[in-house]
Amino acid sequence: MSNTNKRYFYFLLILIAGLLPVVFHDQIFLIMLMYSSAIYTIAVSGLDILFGYSGQISIGHAAFYGIGAYTSAILSTRLGITPWITMLLGGILAVIFAVLIAIPAVKLVHHFLVLVTIGFGQIFYTFVGNAKQLTNGHTGIMNIPYFKIGSFSFNTMISYFYVAFFIMLMFLFIKHKIIKSRIGRAFIAIRENPTSANSSGINVRYYKIMAFAISAFYTGIAGAMYAHFTNYISPSTFTFSQSIIFFVMLLVGGKGSLFGPIVGVVTLTVVLQYLQALSQYQSLAYGAILLFTVLFLPQGIVGSVFISPKKYFISKKAV
Amino acid sequence: MIVKNLIGALTIGSVYALLALGYSLIYQASGLMTFVQGDLFMLGAVVGLALYAYLKIPFIIAFVLTIIGMFFFGLLIEKCVIRILLKKEAAVIYVVLSTIALSIMLQNFVMLVWGSQLLFFPPIFAVSNIKIGSVSIIPESLMGFGMALVSMLLLHIFINKSKFGTAMRAAAQDPMAAATMGIDVSKTTSITWGISAALAGVAGLIFSPIYAASFVMGVSPGLKGFAGAVIGGYGNMYGAIVGSLFLSLTETFVAGYISSGYKDFISFFILILILFIKPRGIFNADVLGD
Repeated sequence: MSNTNKRYFYFLLILIAGLLPVVFHDQIFLIMLMYSSAIYTIAVSGLDILFGYSGQISIGHAAFYGIGAYTSAILSTRLGITPWITMLLGGILAVIFAVLIAIPAVKLVHHFLVLVTIGFGQIFYTFVGNAKQLTNGHTGIMNIPYFKIGSFSFNTMISYFYVAFFIMLMFLFIKHKIIKSRIGRAFIAIRENPTSANSSGINVRYYKIMAFAISAFYTGIAGAMYAHFTNYISPSTFTFSQSIIFFVMLLVGGKGSLFGPIVGVVTLTVVLQYLQALSQYQSLAYGAILLFTVLFLPQGIVGSVFISPKKYFISKKAV
Repeated sequence: MIVKNLIGALTIGSVYALLALGYSLIYQASGLMTFVQGDLFMLGAVVGLALYAYLKIPFIIAFVLTIIGMFFFGLLIEKCVIRILLKKEAAVIYVVLSTIALSIMLQNFVMLVWGSQLLFFPPIFAVSNIKIGSVSIIPESLMGFGMALVSMLLLHIFINKSKFGTAMRAAAQDPMAAATMGIDVSKTTSITWGISAALAGVAGLIFSPIYAASFVMGVSPGLKGFAGAVIGGYGNMYGAIVGSLFLSLTETFVAGYISSGYKDFISFFILILILFIKPRGIFNADVLGD
């Protein structure tokens, strides 16, 4: 469709999504799913910038999610700083760690990068579990303050949704801008063939680190939001499983696209709600979904559905 | 005290070493990373437990059956998952993801069938303690250590002296050249996966008689085996053993003398440090990309 039509379409989508909670304002459960989807979309979009666009894998993103959450929680509960600022600080700290890790890590063959990210995730988890003075260990941090503007406190599920939704739209817009820019093209070049990107004058290491930084910022902010909505965080949220969940959502939805993360998040959230009934089988289902997606649908839903028939038959590779 | 720690470190070290061998073998043979070794370790333990404790089969036989079963399971994984992806020319990362998926599925499958509690092995020997000098050791510890040594020795002999082992090494070094020499590369790859799974099974049967089994027992050792392989030089068999022992000794002594909560932290910290400072590991593997 033409660009103008596209814009009307997006506007309509956003309007519908934004009005849903008003229409269904008494369906608390639905609203909870919606705001948690918004948070996850931000986190997974961050992962997409790293994996979908610059081709680097991280299965340790729960650590960035956690850094954002813990930083925001600690600063707002101990120092009384307003959540909006602590959220930003959480994102920034996530970026700092991402850069520290990325600088030495991006030169490694990519399976070692995976290992570094896993290791980092484990280190983060062990640290927050043990550093009782700072993080309360496994007891967790309680009474994390709500977001506030003036005297209005964002303490209902509907309000959570609107905060998350607004920030999500902002971040998706930024992502779109980044991708269309030189930076985005550099990422894609690096993803496709780092060597030739290098010889085209792209400073591969610099852009790889940047991808990590942006990705960590997104996920860190998402983590901070999570902390201020649920008012309680503990290490058990920020495990390897969480990192895998982010990844499966990205893969199932379709990496390297604006809508992919959204589709993946919503699909998996819905699927998992159905699986709540069979609670023991939930994780098994995750594994099965991941395996199925990797084997048969590596382009994800968005990648497979929206690819034109001609393209489908030409590209048999799972890239 | 030191001796006790040392023995513990050696036992755990042999467990990590067997897992690390699996990782390095697979990487050497097919250039792939696998995340399922830890869960194969767990599977070996629970299957062995089922045979020995529930079906009351004598330990030696249970052991052999488990190892053979694990070998074939490794072949199965290679055939049904890995090969499909390789045929599609999928990017390596998808193979890695598929092993992660298998890992999740295995863990949950075992949890559903065996439950989520700790599973204890009935004692294998009539005595519960052997005294060597002033130190008392559990006989299962000695047995475990012995099994590890024997496995590594057998592996060494097989890889270096047998015809098929040499074929495996050739295929690992240069698949195309090996193929032109008439070596069936896909067969050597399958067998490699089978052997790695079998080694993981041995590790499981070393670990669980002493420390019990559970569906999550493979997560940490799996990662540490990986770390051991990297420290020694990923893809290098002897490095895998050396690296793992180094890791287990460091870990045990940190836990003993500093703090046991940070035991895992130290292992992953060392791993990341090595990856940053000397990713080629002790025996200089080929790991830099970019």
